Amino acid sequence: MAGEAQCLSYTGCNFLRQRLVLATLSGRPLKIRKIRAKEEDPGLRDFEASFIRLIDKVTNGSQIEINQTGTTLYYQPGLLYGGSLEHDCSPSRGIGYYLESLLCLAPFMKHPLKIVLRGVTNDQVDPSVDVLKATALPLLKKFGIDGESLEIKINRRGMPPKGGGEILFACPVRKVLQPVQFTDPGKIKRIRGTAYSVRVSPQMANRMVESARGILNKFLPDIYIYTDHMKGANSGKSPGFGMCLTAETINGTILSAELASNPQGQGAAVLPEELGQNCAKLLLEEIYRGGCVDSTNQSLALLLMTLGQRDVSKVLLGPLSPYTIEFLRHLRSFFQIMFKMETKTTEEEHMGGEKVLMTCVGIGFCNLSKTMR
Amino acid sequence: MEEKEKKKHRAKHSGPKAEKKRKRYLNDLGIGDEENARKRNPKAFTVQSAVRMARTFHRTQDLKTKKHHIPVVDRTPLEPPPVVVVVVGPPKVGKSTVIKCLIKNFTRQKLVEIRGPVTIVSGKKRRLTIIECGCDINTMIDLAKVADLVLMLIDASFGFEMETFEFLNICQVHGFPKIMGVLTHLDTFKNNKQLKKTKKKLKHRFWTEVYPGAKLFYLSGMVHGEYQKQEIHNLGRFISVMKFRPLTWQTSHPYVLADRMEELTNPEDVRINPKCDRKISLYGYLRGAHLKNKSQIHMPGVGDFTVSDVSFLPDPCALPEQQKKRSLNEKEKLVYAPLSGVGGIVYDKDAVYIDLGGSHAHEKEEEEVRPNHELVQSLISTHSAIDVKMASSKVSLFMDSAPLGSEDVGQEFVMPKEERQVDEKTGRVRRKAVFEDDEKENDDVASDEEDDQEEEDEEEAVSEDGSDGDDENDAEEESERALLREGMAVRRAKRLKTEVAQEEAVNELPAFADSDDDLEMSSQEEGETAPEDSEMEEDEEERDLQRTYEYESSDSEFEAANKRAESKQYGINSESTETKSQISEHSPKRKAVLTTDSGNCTAEEASESEDENSSFEEGDDEGGSHEEIETEESDRNGFRHSQAKKADSVRQTKVKTVDTEDDDVENLLREEEEYEEKVDLSADTTGALKWKEDLTQKAAEAFLRQQRSTPNLRKLVYGTAVEDEDQESEDADDELGGLFRVSRPDKASRQKANALDCSKFLVEKPQDWDLEEVMSSIRDCFVTGKWEDDKDAAKLLEEDEELYGDFEDLETGVVHKGKAAVGGEQSGSEEEEEEDEKMSKPEPEEEEKKKERMDKKRKLKEMFDAEYDEGDATYFDDLKEEMHKQAQLNREEFEDQDDETRVQYEGFRPGMYVRIEIENVPCEFVLNFDPHYPIILGGLGNSEGNVGYVQLRLKKHRWYKKILKTRDPLILSLGWRRFQTMPMFYMEDHNGRHRLLKYTPQHMHCGAAFWGPITPQGTGFLAVQSVSGTTPDFRIAATGVVLDLDKSITIVKKLKLTGFPFKIFKNTCFIKGMFNSQLEVAKFEGAAIRSVSGIRGQIKKALRTPVGAFRATFEDKLLMSDIVFVRTWYPVSIPMFYNPVTSLLKPAGEKDSWSGMKTTGQLRYERGIKLKQNKDSLYKPIVREKRHFNKLHIPKALQKALPFKNKPKNLEKKGKTPKDQWRPAVIREPHEKKISALLTALSTVNNYKIKKAKVKHREQLKEYLKVKQKEDEQKFKRQKEAKKKVYRILGQREKKRQKSSLKGSSKGEKSM
Repeated sequence: MAGEAQCLSYTGCNFLRQRLVLATLSGRPLKIRKIRAKEEDPGLRDFEASFIRLIDKVTNGSQIEINQTGTTLYYQPGLLYGGSLEHDCSPSRGIGYYLESLLCLAPFMKHPLKIVLRGVTNDQVDPSVDVLKATALPLLKKFGIDGESLEIKINRRGMPPKGGGEILFACPVRKVLQPVQFTDPGKIKRIRGTAYSVRVSPQMANRMVESARGILNKFLPDIYIYTDHMKGANSGKSPGFGMCLTAETINGTILSAELASNPQGQGAAVLPEELGQNCAKLLLEEIYRGGCVDSTNQSLALLLMTLGQRDVSKVLLGPLSPYTIEFLRHLRSFFQIMFKMETKTTEEEHMGGEKVLMTCVGIGFCNLSKTMR
Repeated sequence: MEEKEKKKHRAKHSGPKAEKKRKRYLNDLGIGDEENARKRNPKAFTVQSAVRMARTFHRTQDLKTKKHHIPVVDRTPLEPPPVVVVVVGPPKVGKSTVIKCLIKNFTRQKLVEIRGPVTIVSGKKRRLTIIECGCDINTMIDLAKVADLVLMLIDASFGFEMETFEFLNICQVHGFPKIMGVLTHLDTFKNNKQLKKTKKKLKHRFWTEVYPGAKLFYLSGMVHGEYQKQEIHNLGRFISVMKFRPLTWQTSHPYVLADRMEELTNPEDVRINPKCDRKISLYGYLRGAHLKNKSQIHMPGVGDFTVSDVSFLPDPCALPEQQKKRSLNEKEKLVYAPLSGVGGIVYDKDAVYIDLGGSHAHEKEEEEVRPNHELVQSLISTHSAIDVKMASSKVSLFMDSAPLGSEDVGQEFVMPKEERQVDEKTGRVRRKAVFEDDEKENDDVASDEEDDQEEEDEEEAVSEDGSDGDDENDAEEESERALLREGMAVRRAKRLKTEVAQEEAVNELPAFADSDDDLEMSSQEEGETAPEDSEMEEDEEERDLQRTYEYESSDSEFEAANKRAESKQYGINSESTETKSQISEHSPKRKAVLTTDSGNCTAEEASESEDENSSFEEGDDEGGSHEEIETEESDRNGFRHSQAKKADSVRQTKVKTVDTEDDDVENLLREEEEYEEKVDLSADTTGALKWKEDLTQKAAEAFLRQQRSTPNLRKLVYGTAVEDEDQESEDADDELGGLFRVSRPDKASRQKANALDCSKFLVEKPQDWDLEEVMSSIRDCFVTGKWEDDKDAAKLLEEDEELYGDFEDLETGVVHKGKAAVGGEQSGSEEEEEEDEKMSKPEPEEEEKKKERMDKKRKLKEMFDAEYDEGDATYFDDLKEEMHKQAQLNREEFEDQDDETRVQYEGFRPGMYVRIEIENVPCEFVLNFDPHYPIILGGLGNSEGNVGYVQLRLKKHRWYKKILKTRDPLILSLGWRRFQTMPMFYMEDHNGRHRLLKYTPQHMHCGAAFWGPITPQGTGFLAVQSVSGTTPDFRIAATGVVLDLDKSITIVKKLKLTGFPFKIFKNTCFIKGMFNSQLEVAKFEGAAIRSVSGIRGQIKKALRTPVGAFRATFEDKLLMSDIVFVRTWYPVSIPMFYNPVTSLLKPAGEKDSWSGMKTTGQLRYERGIKLKQNKDSLYKPIVREKRHFNKLHIPKALQKALPFKNKPKNLEKKGKTPKDQWRPAVIREPHEKKISALLTALSTVNNYKIKKAKVKHREQLKEYLKVKQKEDEQKFKRQKEAKKKVYRILGQREKKRQKSSLKGSSKGEKSM
């Protein structure tokens, strides 16, 4: 009689993370078929396996079944548990790959999550830890998830291909989230950033900063880009350098852009000047897109809105990224929630591109894991 | 002359004059100003004690804050659902009478029998749903969860009964609704005093249970079997002004108290298997929170289900529209109680029901045969409030006639005659839609649709197998098409009525179809989704770039398909009377299908869809052709053939007018040809009608309009806008063993199904940021850019200046002029110049000015407000303000949208009258349906449908006679559910260990853990041991609250392992018998052990032999007789037993006799099995042997060393005295005896005398000493005094001498 929620089924390995995360939060079982079924080496890759292992670590009572070839995955979610954990991420993807999902899950654990992740902190594919630290954490704070224990700390920097970085992510637990009305991004008041270099000349960082400033100074004088050169054990196993930039508005919106050098032994060497310039341009591009949440964190913001109380939440976003669009679809299938989307063209011409105003009524989610005393 | 008495002056004693005088007088005295006692007597008002003052202040603050509740966002809808009034009480207390009287009071109607909830309009803004609660504890529990107001009936002649208290306790656990007591049977009291006393007694008891001051009503006596009118009127007034508090559980979960139930199961399925799972629809007002489609619900007493469809219906018992007048008129006093057979016209999603009573003879027969009467709702009188709805709805005048729309009345009233003949064949009626060019298209569409519907029905009749093919419609279609396309003559395994689905789709689609190709594609898509052959899928992928939104269309079809499923059979069994009647029930429904839709579907949309029709037609034709083939193959009656043909024609009729039935066959043939040609035949498929000519243009227009209105973004994300059943309909084809559902991504996502999973939004073609124009495009995003007018600091400053205008600096004497004035002057001068221009555009300027003025005003007001409110804005006020704002936003956000869209965003909002379809309901629910028992649909939150371990804080109820035993089955009411489970009780030790208890403590809280449904923390629950029958005792066994939810749990019980020493050295000893292997010992190495006598030790290492023995060390030497034990904690597992109480599935009359798992105790008792007791555990008289201890032996060396005190004294035993040393006994003579006796007597006397004398002497001495002391004191005093005198004299003398000596010397000197 106990009607278990109906199983959702998908095909393909794409969006594996959001599917697993949403299944965990909604408590609905999930089946993913045909994972790379037609490819040379079918089945789950090592980084996906590592991610599944991580999900298993943070939950209690999850049931994960993978078939022989790894092309089919069945996931019956348990309850989020949390606690002090450690996880070795696969170096084929950045820590950002794992951290993004953890950011979605962490506020709803039984015990506050405190996890050490090891692997690649900055790479060219995933949002780096620096960017998430600068953008995702302030976003979480807006939803009432704050406190001293909310932090991301980069202990060691690791670049691809070998990694060797280490971060600490800690997040407090909340029972309910606040609704947000986040419709005015405000004007950018300052630009900050980090230029990092490991196992290369410390001069690289300075060169990047110089070139980036050259471009950004045309818009704003308040620019400060930190240089971060890690040495010794803290510098991981591979050389590399890169930069991430954040623009903060007077209303606390943070937009970000980042670039990293090619991994050792892959692709041509990149000049730091060029990288700095490109990164600055990326930031301008991001500013052009605009919105109250930067493009990497759109899905996180939408998720937290969905999981809010039964109140109206609004957020102004830039153009929706493909990942976000798929995320919206998933939100609908998991939570039966639809967003009202209104395109906002800015009246004034110098305010960047079109924006989207996303509105939804929260589903009244409450943290079922948290213990009552 | 008589002296005229002079009138004496009478001083005024009252009045203003006297008052004034008195005041003056008092003022003179200095004690005037009575009002201001503080002034007059300031001392009385001074601070006596600062501490006291602080305390009083503190106390008042405490009292003030105590009144605060945490502010919550007010989520009550604008039009709230009716208030649920539950009438509770023990049997024979007068519940139904109260309900009847209340209904009569509000509506002037008399209900004979009350079954199920009755909804009435009680006032301009309030409706009530009154429901009676029986004494079955299941009913009481269910209704307590949904009640807003409880009318608690108490038989005053008897006093309180257990049911009352039980219900109160249930309420307490599940959130406390408003409770109002009603005393009945007061007329049985003959003695007035007795009556008063009883009232008072009952009132005070009631107050202790509810809250002091709770309202208690007295219904004094009955008049003609009814309560007194005035009293009921008062009661009604109280009810209709009552305010309610929001209850946590109710506000956070959607729920429906169903007031109508219908079965939608396919009759053929039922025929094949009468016990098959049913599909039902339930109706009721939605309450609590928003309900989402496809969400999980729980029906207490039945089980968990997934909502298969929800739709909202027009309110059957609506509030009056305009509220200007003071009271309701008769027409607005509605009553709606379908289960009791009362209601307005019943509007269904797709039909309207009217019962014409038994006046028609021909219907009577049918009615007898009718299987389930409730399905067709009856209506006694029509209310004019319905007029509004009449326009968009259909009415079936006869049981088996086609429903009539308001527009039909004129033209189509003749139809029935025609229909008769059709009746003979199909048992149903067929109607023609008259289509005219100049008629409103809207109407046409509606009628068309109706037609379609009808025809569909017929078509369905054709379909042979009763299997639930509705889900697979599209798939089938698909396969068909594919096959045809490839020229393969593969026969389908199953026949499905696919076309129908498509038709439906057409009906609904227009609203959302933005572009023509979309629809076309959708039809194609359907074709592609054939589940059987995956190859085909691939083919399609390659082939069509166009197909995008397959699900949209299929979604909409789904609903329709469902409907069809029910009805498909009856064509076949039309001969049997039973089915006939069913048809009669179904047919009106179906005929009216989409009355609402037709309302929505505007003419443009309809026309828009024209183009698509061609494609549809193609598809349909194929389907039709197939059908035909099939039907031919199948050995059915001839008439089905024709029907099949008709079905095909239906498709065409959708767009065009109805083809006559005669040319169906021709049509069919033609269509087949068309199909083969694969030509778009939109214009000329059937007889090329004129009105169709400009369809493309119309469609284009409509498309453009839609493009403008609906944002493309939404389409991009969610596919075509309004559909949410997409998954369902599609997934059905991909069902894997009935377990999993496929949600098919659209094509785009399928392509990237195996792409890289990355959240970054890469820039595809970055702009050249070196260019000036590109750069300027974001210039204003920075603080350095241009600001908006309302934010720019400079602008704001300017405005402020304007606002405050001129002012003069008094110090300097400088006059500042406001700019506005200047501007005004300028404009004044300019005015003349621009006179002509102004004439042309006077309005905007005026408006501008007006706006300016308003702005100014607003600003001033804001400033004033800020200034005024600033003083006492506390944190609490801020919080409240915030909540208020949020509530405002919640209300306004979707206000301007129509319900259809709104429902998509928000879900169905409370207050709506909804129809909920549920599938796979156990047949017993339908077969044993009893309207007296409430049917509740409780919505479940996310993952509340899952099961896990739940930890509770539990306390046995103080009125429950027994204590509860661990692992005994117990029935819990938690959340919406009632279920039986096996809880384990535990206590939490100080170190956090959960230690198992065998029984609950008598008067304490304890923990409990069970396996069951996950329910949010903080939810209250209650436990009963049995829900069957009645017992005189209190039934609620325990209450408590949920603390924690988990997927694993650790409760431990203590396990002592014992062993015996077999070899003892000094402090080391070898112990055996505790473990069975070396491995076990290894596991316990280092564990603390203890002997029974209290000697502590540790396990060291395993020994080789005997197996399981080990070496241990102790703090002292053990004895061989000692027993050694180790204390371990053994985790116990919780039985995974969760059994929902399915009381509603019991046959009528037995619904209160549900019994689940029995306890072993019960079973043993029932079967008379005696427990075989362990012999050891029997109690026996304890016989303790006397223990003998050996003498303490102290070694000689030690003895020597001891101090003498502790040395054993060598008291040698005296040996026997030798006989010679024995002394002889003296025996006295009598005389001597006498003498000695006398002597003793004398000596005794003497002794006594001496003693007495001694005492006397002592007293005398005391006395003497006292006197002596006194004397001494006096003497001493005297002496002291004397001495004092002497010394004084001596002192004086000495002084004198000194003086004199000085003098003397001076004298002497002088003398010298």
